[in-house]
Amino acid sequence: MAESPAELAPASPDGPHTSAATSAAPIDGAGPERPPAAVLEGVSRKFDDVIGVRDLDLTLPSGKILGLIGPSGSGKTTTIRMLTGALRPSTGRVTVLGEDPTRFTRRTRERIGYLPQFSVLYPELTAWETVDFVAALTGTLLFRRMIRVRRVLHVLELWDVRGRRVSVLSGGTQRRVALACALVGDPELLFLDEPTTGIDPILRESIWAELARRRDAGRTILVTTQYVSEAEQCDLVVLMADGNVIAYDTPEGMRRQASQGEEVSSRDSRPPFDEIFADLVRQNGFHGDGDPKKKAR
Amino acid sequence: MNLLKVFTRVFAFVGKEIVTTVRRPGAIFSLILGPFLIMAIFGYGYNGFRKPLDTLVVVPQSAGLPRDPGFYAGIGGAPVQIVAVVDDADAAKQRLALREVDLVVIAPPDAGAQFQAGQQEVITVAYNEVDPVAQSYVAVLADQFAATVNRELITAAVKSGEQYAIGAGKAVKVIPPEVLAAPTRVETENLAPTTPNVVDFFAPAVLALILQHMAVTLTALSLVRERLGGAMELFRITPTSAGEILAGKYLAFGILNLVVATAVIGLMVTALHVPLLSNVLFVLFIVVLLSFASLGLGLFISALADSERSAVQIALLALLASVFLSGFAIPLRDFDPAVRNLAYALPVTHGLRLLQDAFLRGTWTPVNLLALGLIGFVLLLATNVVLARSMRPV
Repeated sequence: MAESPAELAPASPDGPHTSAATSAAPIDGAGPERPPAAVLEGVSRKFDDVIGVRDLDLTLPSGKILGLIGPSGSGKTTTIRMLTGALRPSTGRVTVLGEDPTRFTRRTRERIGYLPQFSVLYPELTAWETVDFVAALTGTLLFRRMIRVRRVLHVLELWDVRGRRVSVLSGGTQRRVALACALVGDPELLFLDEPTTGIDPILRESIWAELARRRDAGRTILVTTQYVSEAEQCDLVVLMADGNVIAYDTPEGMRRQASQGEEVSSRDSRPPFDEIFADLVRQNGFHGDGDPKKKAR
Repeated sequence: MNLLKVFTRVFAFVGKEIVTTVRRPGAIFSLILGPFLIMAIFGYGYNGFRKPLDTLVVVPQSAGLPRDPGFYAGIGGAPVQIVAVVDDADAAKQRLALREVDLVVIAPPDAGAQFQAGQQEVITVAYNEVDPVAQSYVAVLADQFAATVNRELITAAVKSGEQYAIGAGKAVKVIPPEVLAAPTRVETENLAPTTPNVVDFFAPAVLALILQHMAVTLTALSLVRERLGGAMELFRITPTSAGEILAGKYLAFGILNLVVATAVIGLMVTALHVPLLSNVLFVLFIVVLLSFASLGLGLFISALADSERSAVQIALLALLASVFLSGFAIPLRDFDPAVRNLAYALPVTHGLRLLQDAFLRGTWTPVNLLALGLIGFVLLLATNVVLARSMRPV
């Protein structure tokens, strides 16, 4: 079975974070002593007879990028929706920024950004209007909003399409507009549900670079992805399958788990992350295709 | 600062709703020109008077009555148009069955014989109608026809009697036979400040109906779309409250309704020459109240509907109820009291009465204004409760 997160005690992400030109302002009180941004304790969630997430213990340290990785149906979105307060856990306790997400205060909501799995866009609005609308929902006043919208559109390379209606944009561009909506409020805590889906590899790199810049400025980011290779970009990785956490570690720690303690010295000889994921899934007795009935005996 | 943030969120919805509405293809046409065109077509096509009924008069050869259609046209008056005078009743009824004519009036075969025998003569009026309103109309026409014939007969008899008395050298007071046949007559006096034609009369009612329908259809899909598209989950994460969402939507669609109403009222007054006896600002106040209540109805439907299809279906039911029950098609006083009370729950019932009175009488009924405000307020509260509940974690 998976080692519990408490046993894993996630280490610091490898390497120092370089501070590049970022679209995020440094956060007040950022430092190693900050409390965890989110904690899930013994959390399960059932949908009628189907278990979406099973007995989940997870800590999201502040100022880190935590990646929830797993196939479709593994419980990533259920986890993120419980963290945002959209879903109530069937059992267990969820705490986000010190509060129960189902009872978030307005002030706490202003500190959170969210990208749902399916983009919420209005076809008749332009890219600018869409991002501006979501920025206004956080209560950001006009002039600050103009600056932030302009900045985030530049960062996500959407500036040239700012005046075009969302309905005429490609799927990948629409996804970036949705991501811009999540980033525009410069939130302290970001929940991004598959932000890079449908986006080409070059732009995916630039999105991850932007997320890293925000992390360096003290933001906390929880991101789900089906691209196993993107685990490399995270400080901490949670592998999920069939509603269970099967591993929680840094990417390097996960490599060690997969190679069962053998040191992999050369960067070139390191196995790709999808192989690591498959190894860990097998080691923990899961098929990892999203069907909870297929857990190996 | 917090108030500023609330305004920012509310006006985010105002801007979004207005932009998404006016950018839809055909929205401007359907919103502004559409209602006016409906009124113009209605006014062009219907002058408020029934088309005269095509009538065959059957005069059997044995009756000994005139066969000139002009004679019977004088008796029937404007509501009937005598197509022909024939002598075969069965053939005439055959044409009626084929709906080639609207009425067949059959004179008695031996006119005068029954009367001489001290019995009433029977004039048969045959028609072929399934419409109950048309059936009632024919019955009224038949009564009117019989009264006219009777009056003509009495006039002729009086004239003949007076001539006989005068010829016999008797001292008689001569009263005109027409006065003896119809000793009284009625003169009508309308106290209403205007005598509107049918377009004038229906235009404010159509305006009320269009405003309610527009508000309901614009908003009925609004919340259900947000919910099905996942926006409600996004709103739930932001500091936005159900009240702010509703306030934004009320304001946005209220502004659209007011703009459309102003344009349509302008066209009504200038192009259709509908009399406007009240202050235009008061009319706009009625429009605001009617919009408030109608938007509440639309948003309430939207908050309850579980799909776009069900929202559209309920909106159409609201339109049907409004056409039939609001007093638009049939006067409200003709309904059973229970149904009338149901009709009072519809915003358009009060809006229609208020707008017609404002345009054509220059008056207003406080109870209708209060009712509109009350309906709007109750719907606002109910929608807020339903929406806030739907935004709770599941």
